[in-house]
Amino acid sequence: MSYKIPMGPYHPGLEEPYKLDLICEDETVIDAKLHVGFNFRGIEHLAETRNHVQVIALMERVCGICSNVHTLSLCRAMEEILGIEPPPRAQYIRVIMAELERLHSHVLWAGIAGKLMGFKTMFMRCFALREKVMDVLEAISGNRVNYSMNRIGGVNRDIADPSTVLAMIEALEREMVNTVIPVFTTSTTALSRCAGIGVLTQERAISFGVVGPTARASGLPQDIRRAAPYAAYSELEFDVPVETAGDVRARLFVRAREIVQSCRVLRQALTKLPSGPLHAEGSDESDIAFPTGMATSRVEAPRGEVMYSVSWEEDSDNPSRVHVRTPTYANMPAIRAMVIGAQLADTPLIQASIDPCYSCTDR
Amino acid sequence: MTMLETIPGSLGVTETWVEKGRAHWLACEGLNVRDVAKTMAACHARFITITATELPDDEGIRLEYHWDLEGQLLGFPFQVSNKQIESIYDLCEAADWIEREIHEYYTVYFLGREYQPLFLRQGDKPGVNLREEDE
Repeated sequence: MSYKIPMGPYHPGLEEPYKLDLICEDETVIDAKLHVGFNFRGIEHLAETRNHVQVIALMERVCGICSNVHTLSLCRAMEEILGIEPPPRAQYIRVIMAELERLHSHVLWAGIAGKLMGFKTMFMRCFALREKVMDVLEAISGNRVNYSMNRIGGVNRDIADPSTVLAMIEALEREMVNTVIPVFTTSTTALSRCAGIGVLTQERAISFGVVGPTARASGLPQDIRRAAPYAAYSELEFDVPVETAGDVRARLFVRAREIVQSCRVLRQALTKLPSGPLHAEGSDESDIAFPTGMATSRVEAPRGEVMYSVSWEEDSDNPSRVHVRTPTYANMPAIRAMVIGAQLADTPLIQASIDPCYSCTDR
Repeated sequence: MTMLETIPGSLGVTETWVEKGRAHWLACEGLNVRDVAKTMAACHARFITITATELPDDEGIRLEYHWDLEGQLLGFPFQVSNKQIESIYDLCEAADWIEREIHEYYTVYFLGREYQPLFLRQGDKPGVNLREEDE
């Protein structure tokens, strides 16, 4: 006989409010229904009431973790409409911020995954590391969460001393490579909770249109940084880690390897940081006059591709439309496929394995 | 001939791609959204999203369907004057949530599918977040 377990919207096994109605037979999940919208703020429609400066601050608040990629995507779309190209130094600083944010997101996720595995020492270790990443972000931007780095035509703040940041990155990488990653990839505790759990086959991953580490863990080598490079990514070397098993372990491995690749990109970007201005000429607030136009922008956020579609009418202070497709919006429907057939006790870890962000999803 | 160049022919249209705003656009009268979805599936393109925009002066709603083809962003615009368009959900599972969201935000009906509420709402009213039905 089947029965329903309502998990959420506020549940210790979920990081944010959403609801998963699990239909079970004994301890096995036979179906699931997802309910989102608990963080709905109407941000897309609020954007239509904000000018080109205010809208950046607004969209930075779509997500608390990957706030930088939202302003980066939005600014790139607005720059496309305006015909503005940021200078090289700004492009490199954008990469540095994006990769620091990826490190922050992945380490935070690793900590939460550790907690859900019952591996609380690793949770504490990861959160201590996350603090170090946030220290770097704070040293650059003055902020720990919403960095306010992006503006139309470039960035708001410089990285005055890249060598200091480089030293922090190298210390961080040493701890990641020597401690965290080996534990996650070799420990029996971690592997026994993750192997063969929450499988998303490549076929289903294609069907759901999943993105980011979720797609790469199901054998899809997609990464916007590689497929359609933006900022300074075309000048930097990095690998796109791919696993084929499609289970929680594969998603864990992909993120672990991405941490190493992010450090690799950061080292290059900080070493090669070109001199020059932080923003393009003619991009000051008083110079901006939008023509009628529409542009899209895609950025590889820590959880996968973010897409912005922005429309503007000439002489209008505000955009006529800002649409955001966040990575969790693409990944979340696949949770149903991942939990069917799983043990009830594994479902919190399975849903966490896509690193969901409901704040992004609901907007 | 690249995969991108073969798509207009596969859809039976003579128009060609127009590159604008970092996307390749194929806009033409008489294009059927389900034919587009089938062609995109045949090309192994990845569905990204649908952007809905309310047009001024009661011109209806503009729906822009986006797919990724080998890193290239493709766009197919459709103008919906009577708030109805065929659903592609049965052809493209990834379109499920965005069709439901647009239905709830703009009361556009995607024909040929059943709806389940997606976002928080008041009772069973569609469009409750921003638009009441028939508003």
